[in-house]
Amino acid sequence: MIIFGLNFGPVVAAAPALIDGLWLTITISFAAIVFGGSVGLAAAVGRSLAPRRLKWPVDVYVEVMRNTPLLIQLYIIFLGLPALGIRFSPIEASIIGLTINTGAYCTEIFRAGIESIHRSQIEAGLSLGLSRLQVVRYVVVVPAIIGVWPALVSQFILLTLASSVCSFISLEEISGAAYTIQSATFLNFEVYIVIGAMYLLLAAGLKSLLRLVGLYSFPGPSRRSLKKAMPSATAVRAQL
Amino acid sequence: MKVLSKLFACLVVVLATTWTSAVFAQSVNDLIASGKIRIGVNSAAPPFSFIGTSGKVDGYDVEVGRKIAEFLGVEAEFVAYPTAGRIPALESDKIDIAIATLTPTPARAKVVMFTIPYVTFGSSIISAKDSAINSLEDLAGKKVGVARGTPQEVKLTDEGPKGMDIARFDDDAITMQALVAGQVDAIAVPDTIFIEFAKSRPGHSFDFKFSLQNFFMSVAVRKDAFELQQWLNTVISFMKVTGDLTQLYEKWVGKPLPAIMPEF
Repeated sequence: MIIFGLNFGPVVAAAPALIDGLWLTITISFAAIVFGGSVGLAAAVGRSLAPRRLKWPVDVYVEVMRNTPLLIQLYIIFLGLPALGIRFSPIEASIIGLTINTGAYCTEIFRAGIESIHRSQIEAGLSLGLSRLQVVRYVVVVPAIIGVWPALVSQFILLTLASSVCSFISLEEISGAAYTIQSATFLNFEVYIVIGAMYLLLAAGLKSLLRLVGLYSFPGPSRRSLKKAMPSATAVRAQL
Repeated sequence: MKVLSKLFACLVVVLATTWTSAVFAQSVNDLIASGKIRIGVNSAAPPFSFIGTSGKVDGYDVEVGRKIAEFLGVEAEFVAYPTAGRIPALESDKIDIAIATLTPTPARAKVVMFTIPYVTFGSSIISAKDSAINSLEDLAGKKVGVARGTPQEVKLTDEGPKGMDIARFDDDAITMQALVAGQVDAIAVPDTIFIEFAKSRPGHSFDFKFSLQNFFMSVAVRKDAFELQQWLNTVISFMKVTGDLTQLYEKWVGKPLPAIMPEF
């Protein structure tokens, strides 16, 4: 039996590398949330508006991305595409990989939201004299987003945690920095405890932030339905 | 059946050790008299010594061992040990000498005696054939790939020039791939990795640029076997002069043995 104490000294000394890593994780996650969310929304809306025969490109995209590991997608973008003369830096490749991956999941989430809008509501919108575009925007898309917002928040947190895979293509984000530190100090346990705490704080912060975004982006009655969907949002608001 | 054969093997080993430990072949004459030399090699250190697909040991160390037996005029008997088992095997007289990728270190030299180095194991900077990278200083402003947790990573981190960008990957294979994909300008990998790569991808456009690190390896004999050690020194020195060693090194490692190796 080997008994050993925890030694956080060298890990604390390596804090600058971990802080840099934290910023990189935040950067690529934020970019992938914005771009991936947009891709997902565009693909889902496009698919729902497209005639039946033209829905397949989105389906193929979603199935290919959801049924292959993120690691392999990153490998192909970073080490495969250069064979075709397309070269991305580690950070570009990471953002692109996370975007197309999370975009596929977001497509499915938005599709569920869009499909939950009853046909009668669309007909009601049209009969009130709204244009087709207005119906898509006010009757379909916005209520759909409100409906699936909690699922989206969960997907974005998963994305942030999954971004640790990007260390594979030499990006020194939190996990990459941690691997480098632990291979030099052999303080594996200490390093993982520290980055575990960092991911926890990051995910918790992101969740609160996205809750507030949801709360203040959707006006009037939708905000009420959002509050109903996420009761603790009320508590957040009460504090403000 | 399997259990029985294992038990039998154990019995043989036990008997063999009790019987042989009485006779310590310590001098050159002892070895000649016994008609064979028992050589310990590393069981998993390709291309130096490893157990080949046929189940027999093979590699650079094994061929050096055969040459030594030839000079001695006796039969070579090889026994493969895992890394941690090499010195204990020598100490307990299971083998007469160890040609087993052993780097002579002060700590080890307290326990066994080393000959002058007979081989080197190194890591190098690999880059495009036409790139002008010939020293560490030339890496300034370049992106250099390396696997995390390796001696070459430590070396580059500590001694790399200012302005060099280190890209750390999970292992040597991905590091190699990053060079192929043009994601890095150069990489630092063990020489053997690049040689294996070159075998599987003929027509590639990369080459050794310069040697980053070298670990020298010596033959080990039991403590106080001065005469045997000196005889082996003579043989190793002789094989360096005749070119036998460099020829074997070319065969297994794919490049010439460095001209200058430490002697002590």
